[in-house]
Amino acid sequence: MKKGDFIVIGITAAVFVLSIGLLLSFSKQGRRVIIKQDNEIVYNQSVKLDNTVDIGTNCVIIKNGEVFVNSASCKNQICVNTGKISKKGESIVCLPNKVIVEIK
Amino acid sequence: MSAKQGDSRNKINIKRLTLYALVTAVCLIVGYLESLLSIGLTSIAPGVKLGLSNAVALMLICSGDIKGAWAVNVTRICLASLLFGSPISFVLSLSGGVASTAVSSLLSRSKNISAIGISIAGGVIHNVFQLIAATFIVGFGVVYYLPILIGLGAICGAFCGVLARAALKHTNIFEFEF
Repeated sequence: MKKGDFIVIGITAAVFVLSIGLLLSFSKQGRRVIIKQDNEIVYNQSVKLDNTVDIGTNCVIIKNGEVFVNSASCKNQICVNTGKISKKGESIVCLPNKVIVEIK
Repeated sequence: MSAKQGDSRNKINIKRLTLYALVTAVCLIVGYLESLLSIGLTSIAPGVKLGLSNAVALMLICSGDIKGAWAVNVTRICLASLLFGSPISFVLSLSGGVASTAVSSLLSRSKNISAIGISIAGGVIHNVFQLIAATFIVGFGVVYYLPILIGLGAICGAFCGVLARAALKHTNIFEFEF
Protein backbone atom coordinates (compact mmCIF):
# COMPACT_ATOMS: atom_id res chain seq x y z
CA MET A 1 0.00 0.00 0.00
CA LYS A 2 1.36 3.38 -1.01
CA LYS A 3 0.33 6.96 -0.27
CA GLY A 4 -1.77 7.22 -3.43
CA ASP A 5 -3.80 4.19 -2.39
CA PHE A 6 -4.97 5.92 0.75
CA ILE A 7 -5.88 9.02 -1.28
CA VAL A 8 -7.99 6.85 -3.59
CA ILE A 9 -9.64 5.14 -0.61
CA GLY A 10 -10.30 8.55 0.97
CA ILE A 11 -11.87 9.98 -2.19
CA THR A 12 -13.98 6.83 -2.63
CA ALA A 13 -15.23 7.04 0.96
CA ALA A 14 -16.05 10.74 0.49
CA VAL A 15 -17.96 10.07 -2.75
CA PHE A 16 -19.76 7.18 -1.03
CA VAL A 17 -20.93 9.38 1.86
CA LEU A 18 -21.77 12.21 -0.56
CA SER A 19 -23.92 9.94 -2.73
CA ILE A 20 -25.86 8.70 0.30
CA GLY A 21 -26.41 12.30 1.43
CA LEU A 22 -27.51 13.38 -2.04
CA LEU A 23 -29.99 10.55 -2.36
CA LEU A 24 -31.39 11.20 1.12
CA SER A 25 -31.94 14.87 0.33
CA PHE A 26 -33.55 13.86 -2.97
CA SER A 27 -35.99 11.53 -1.24
CA LYS A 28 -36.75 14.19 1.38
CA GLN A 29 -37.64 16.70 -1.32
CA GLY A 30 -39.98 14.11 -2.72
CA ARG A 31 -42.19 14.17 0.39
CA ARG A 32 -45.71 15.18 -0.45
CA VAL A 33 -48.76 16.14 1.52
CA ILE A 34 -51.83 14.24 0.46
CA ILE A 35 -55.27 15.19 1.76
CA LYS A 36 -58.07 12.75 1.10
CA GLN A 37 -61.76 13.40 1.65
CA ASP A 38 -64.22 10.54 1.14
CA ASN A 39 -61.28 8.56 -0.29
CA GLU A 40 -60.73 11.15 -3.00
CA ILE A 41 -57.49 13.12 -3.22
CA VAL A 42 -58.31 16.79 -2.85
CA TYR A 43 -54.76 18.08 -2.32
CA ASN A 44 -51.38 16.73 -3.42
CA GLN A 45 -48.37 19.04 -3.12
CA SER A 46 -44.83 19.11 -1.74
CA VAL A 47 -44.40 19.72 2.01
CA LYS A 48 -42.01 22.53 1.12
CA LEU A 49 -44.89 24.56 -0.28
CA ASP A 50 -46.41 26.65 2.53
CA ASN A 51 -50.15 26.65 2.12
CA THR A 52 -53.49 26.88 3.89
CA VAL A 53 -55.96 24.35 2.60
CA ASP A 54 -59.60 24.84 3.53
CA ILE A 55 -61.60 21.82 2.46
CA GLY A 56 -64.86 22.97 4.05
CA THR A 57 -64.95 20.73 7.10
CA ASN A 58 -61.29 21.01 8.07
CA CYS A 59 -58.61 23.64 7.68
CA VAL A 60 -55.12 22.20 7.07
CA ILE A 61 -52.03 24.38 7.35
CA ILE A 62 -48.69 23.46 5.79
CA LYS A 63 -45.83 25.58 7.07
CA ASN A 64 -42.04 25.06 7.21
CA GLY A 65 -42.35 21.40 6.26
CA GLU A 66 -44.87 20.74 9.04
CA VAL A 67 -48.51 19.89 8.55
CA PHE A 68 -51.32 20.34 11.07
CA VAL A 69 -55.08 20.70 11.20
CA ASN A 70 -55.95 24.17 12.42
CA SER A 71 -59.66 23.78 12.81
CA ALA A 72 -62.32 21.15 12.28
CA SER A 73 -66.09 21.13 12.30
CA CYS A 74 -66.31 17.84 14.20
CA LYS A 75 -67.05 17.35 17.90
CA ASN A 76 -64.06 15.35 19.12
CA GLN A 77 -61.31 17.56 17.56
CA ILE A 78 -58.92 14.58 17.52
CA CYS A 79 -57.34 15.77 14.28
CA VAL A 80 -56.62 19.21 15.74
CA ASN A 81 -55.15 17.63 18.88
CA THR A 82 -52.92 15.29 16.86
CA GLY A 83 -50.61 18.24 16.38
CA LYS A 84 -47.91 18.68 13.76
CA ILE A 85 -46.63 15.96 11.47
CA SER A 86 -43.55 16.23 9.25
CA LYS A 87 -42.10 12.75 8.68
CA LYS A 88 -42.78 10.37 5.85
CA GLY A 89 -45.59 7.94 6.70
CA GLU A 90 -47.21 10.06 9.40
CA SER A 91 -50.88 10.93 9.13
CA ILE A 92 -53.71 12.88 10.71
CA VAL A 93 -57.16 11.34 10.58
CA CYS A 94 -60.53 12.95 11.08
CA LEU A 95 -63.06 10.15 11.10
CA PRO A 96 -66.29 12.19 11.47
CA ASN A 97 -65.47 14.18 8.32
CA LYS A 98 -63.77 11.24 6.56
CA VAL A 99 -60.59 13.27 6.06
CA ILE A 100 -57.09 11.80 5.99
CA VAL A 101 -53.96 13.96 5.83
CA GLU A 102 -50.80 11.98 5.14
CA ILE A 103 -47.20 12.56 4.18
CA LYS A 104 -45.81 10.31 1.48
CA MET B 1 8.44 -2.21 -24.05
CA SER B 2 11.70 -0.30 -24.20
CA ALA B 3 13.21 -2.88 -26.51
CA LYS B 4 10.72 -2.01 -29.23
CA GLN B 5 12.64 -0.77 -32.26
CA GLY B 6 11.47 1.73 -34.84
CA ASP B 7 11.32 -0.76 -37.69
CA SER B 8 9.24 -3.27 -35.78
CA ARG B 9 6.59 -0.71 -34.95
CA ASN B 10 4.51 -1.37 -38.05
CA LYS B 11 4.85 -5.11 -37.99
CA ILE B 12 2.55 -7.32 -36.02
CA ASN B 13 4.57 -8.61 -33.13
CA ILE B 14 3.67 -12.28 -32.97
CA LYS B 15 4.77 -12.73 -29.37
CA ARG B 16 2.72 -9.78 -28.25
CA LEU B 17 -0.31 -10.82 -30.30
CA THR B 18 -0.16 -14.29 -28.79
CA LEU B 19 0.15 -12.89 -25.28
CA TYR B 20 -2.88 -10.63 -25.75
CA ALA B 21 -4.92 -13.46 -27.22
CA LEU B 22 -3.95 -15.67 -24.30
CA VAL B 23 -4.81 -12.97 -21.74
CA THR B 24 -8.16 -12.28 -23.46
CA ALA B 25 -8.99 -15.99 -23.35
CA VAL B 26 -8.06 -16.15 -19.66
CA CYS B 27 -10.25 -13.09 -19.00
CA LEU B 28 -13.22 -14.72 -20.71
CA ILE B 29 -12.85 -17.97 -18.79
CA VAL B 30 -12.35 -16.17 -15.48
CA GLY B 31 -15.39 -13.99 -16.25
CA TYR B 32 -17.48 -17.09 -16.90
CA LEU B 33 -16.24 -18.83 -13.75
CA GLU B 34 -17.03 -15.83 -11.58
CA SER B 35 -20.59 -15.68 -12.94
CA LEU B 36 -20.97 -19.10 -11.32
CA LEU B 37 -19.35 -17.90 -8.08
CA SER B 38 -20.98 -14.52 -7.50
CA ILE B 39 -24.50 -15.74 -6.75
CA GLY B 40 -24.18 -14.28 -3.23
CA LEU B 41 -23.28 -10.86 -4.61
CA THR B 42 -26.24 -10.68 -6.98
CA SER B 43 -28.56 -11.07 -3.99
CA ILE B 44 -27.22 -7.76 -2.60
CA ALA B 45 -27.66 -5.87 -5.86
CA PRO B 46 -28.74 -7.47 -9.15
CA GLY B 47 -26.06 -7.86 -11.76
CA VAL B 48 -23.08 -7.20 -9.50
CA LYS B 49 -19.96 -9.18 -10.32
CA LEU B 50 -16.53 -9.43 -8.72
CA GLY B 51 -14.82 -8.35 -11.92
CA LEU B 52 -12.07 -10.95 -11.71
CA SER B 53 -11.34 -10.52 -15.41
CA ASN B 54 -10.42 -6.94 -14.57
CA ALA B 55 -7.74 -8.31 -12.25
CA VAL B 56 -6.12 -9.90 -15.29
CA ALA B 57 -6.31 -6.66 -17.28
CA LEU B 58 -5.01 -4.83 -14.22
CA MET B 59 -1.87 -6.97 -14.33
CA LEU B 60 -1.24 -5.63 -17.84
CA ILE B 61 -1.76 -2.03 -16.70
CA CYS B 62 0.54 -2.47 -13.71
CA SER B 63 3.24 -3.87 -15.99
CA GLY B 64 3.06 -0.64 -17.96
CA ASP B 65 1.36 -2.06 -21.05
CA ILE B 66 -1.58 0.34 -21.31
CA LYS B 67 -2.16 -0.29 -25.04
CA GLY B 68 -2.35 -3.98 -24.30
CA ALA B 69 -4.86 -3.41 -21.52
CA TRP B 70 -7.09 -1.43 -23.89
CA ALA B 71 -6.85 -4.11 -26.58
CA VAL B 72 -7.59 -6.95 -24.16
CA ASN B 73 -10.43 -5.15 -22.37
CA VAL B 74 -12.29 -4.03 -25.50
CA THR B 75 -11.87 -7.44 -27.16
CA ARG B 76 -12.98 -9.19 -23.98
CA ILE B 77 -16.12 -7.05 -23.64
CA CYS B 78 -17.10 -7.58 -27.29
CA LEU B 79 -16.52 -11.33 -27.09
CA ALA B 80 -18.22 -11.77 -23.71
CA SER B 81 -21.29 -9.89 -24.93
CA LEU B 82 -21.40 -11.99 -28.11
CA LEU B 83 -21.01 -15.24 -26.17
CA PHE B 84 -23.00 -14.72 -22.97
CA GLY B 85 -24.67 -11.31 -23.19
CA SER B 86 -27.21 -9.15 -24.93
CA PRO B 87 -27.01 -5.76 -26.72
CA ILE B 88 -27.93 -4.05 -23.44
CA SER B 89 -25.25 -5.85 -21.46
CA PHE B 90 -22.78 -4.89 -24.22
CA VAL B 91 -23.57 -1.17 -23.85
CA LEU B 92 -23.38 -1.43 -20.05
CA SER B 93 -20.08 -3.30 -19.91
CA LEU B 94 -18.52 -1.18 -22.65
CA SER B 95 -19.32 2.10 -20.88
CA GLY B 96 -17.97 0.77 -17.59
CA GLY B 97 -14.98 -0.91 -19.20
CA VAL B 98 -13.84 2.10 -21.24
CA ALA B 99 -14.19 4.49 -18.29
CA SER B 100 -12.40 2.23 -15.81
CA THR B 101 -9.57 1.40 -18.24
CA ALA B 102 -9.06 5.12 -18.92
CA VAL B 103 -8.91 5.99 -15.22
CA SER B 104 -6.75 2.99 -14.34
CA SER B 105 -4.22 3.72 -17.08
CA LEU B 106 -4.06 7.38 -16.04
CA LEU B 107 -3.47 6.43 -12.40
CA SER B 108 -0.86 3.82 -13.31
CA ARG B 109 1.41 6.64 -14.54
CA SER B 110 1.78 7.81 -10.95
CA LYS B 111 4.51 6.11 -8.97
CA ASN B 112 2.78 6.73 -5.67
CA ILE B 113 -0.03 4.32 -6.30
CA SER B 114 -0.08 0.53 -6.19
CA ALA B 115 -2.28 -2.05 -7.87
CA ILE B 116 -4.81 -1.86 -5.04
CA GLY B 117 -5.45 1.87 -5.41
CA ILE B 118 -5.66 1.61 -9.21
CA SER B 119 -8.08 -1.28 -8.87
CA ILE B 120 -10.35 0.45 -6.33
CA ALA B 121 -10.56 3.58 -8.51
CA GLY B 122 -11.20 1.43 -11.60
CA GLY B 123 -13.92 -0.59 -9.87
CA VAL B 124 -15.76 2.45 -8.56
CA ILE B 125 -15.54 4.34 -11.88
CA HIS B 126 -16.68 1.21 -13.72
CA ASN B 127 -19.82 0.97 -11.61
CA VAL B 128 -20.57 4.70 -11.72
CA PHE B 129 -20.34 4.88 -15.52
CA GLN B 130 -22.32 1.69 -15.89
CA LEU B 131 -25.04 3.28 -13.78
CA ILE B 132 -24.97 6.43 -15.92
CA ALA B 133 -25.44 4.24 -19.00
CA ALA B 134 -28.23 2.38 -17.19
CA THR B 135 -30.12 5.61 -16.50
CA PHE B 136 -30.33 6.18 -20.26
CA ILE B 137 -31.73 2.68 -20.79
CA VAL B 138 -33.88 2.01 -17.72
CA GLY B 139 -34.60 5.50 -16.38
CA PHE B 140 -33.57 7.76 -13.55
CA GLY B 141 -34.86 5.41 -10.84
CA VAL B 142 -31.73 3.25 -10.87
CA VAL B 143 -29.77 6.16 -9.36
CA TYR B 144 -30.76 4.78 -5.96
CA TYR B 145 -28.24 1.98 -6.55
CA LEU B 146 -25.39 4.51 -6.54
CA PRO B 147 -24.21 4.16 -2.90
CA ILE B 148 -24.41 0.34 -3.05
CA LEU B 149 -22.53 0.27 -6.35
CA ILE B 150 -19.82 2.63 -5.12
CA GLY B 151 -19.33 0.56 -1.96
CA LEU B 152 -19.31 -2.78 -3.76
CA GLY B 153 -17.09 -1.37 -6.51
CA ALA B 154 -14.52 -0.35 -3.92
CA ILE B 155 -14.63 -3.71 -2.12
CA CYS B 156 -14.48 -5.79 -5.30
CA GLY B 157 -11.80 -3.48 -6.68
CA ALA B 158 -9.68 -3.91 -3.56
CA PHE B 159 -10.09 -7.68 -3.82
CA CYS B 160 -8.99 -7.69 -7.47
CA GLY B 161 -6.10 -5.38 -6.65
CA VAL B 162 -4.78 -7.66 -3.92
CA LEU B 163 -5.18 -10.60 -6.27
CA ALA B 164 -3.39 -8.88 -9.16
CA ARG B 165 -0.53 -7.75 -6.93
CA ALA B 166 -0.08 -11.25 -5.53
CA ALA B 167 -0.16 -12.73 -9.02
CA LEU B 168 2.34 -10.19 -10.35
CA LYS B 169 4.81 -11.19 -7.62
CA HIS B 170 4.87 -14.74 -8.94
CA THR B 171 4.94 -14.15 -12.68
CA ASN B 172 6.85 -11.95 -15.07
CA ILE B 173 4.90 -13.06 -18.14
CA PHE B 174 3.97 -9.43 -18.94
CA GLU B 175 7.46 -8.11 -18.59
CA PHE B 176 9.47 -10.15 -21.09
CA GLU B 177 11.27 -8.28 -23.82
CA PHE B 178 9.49 -8.14 -27.15
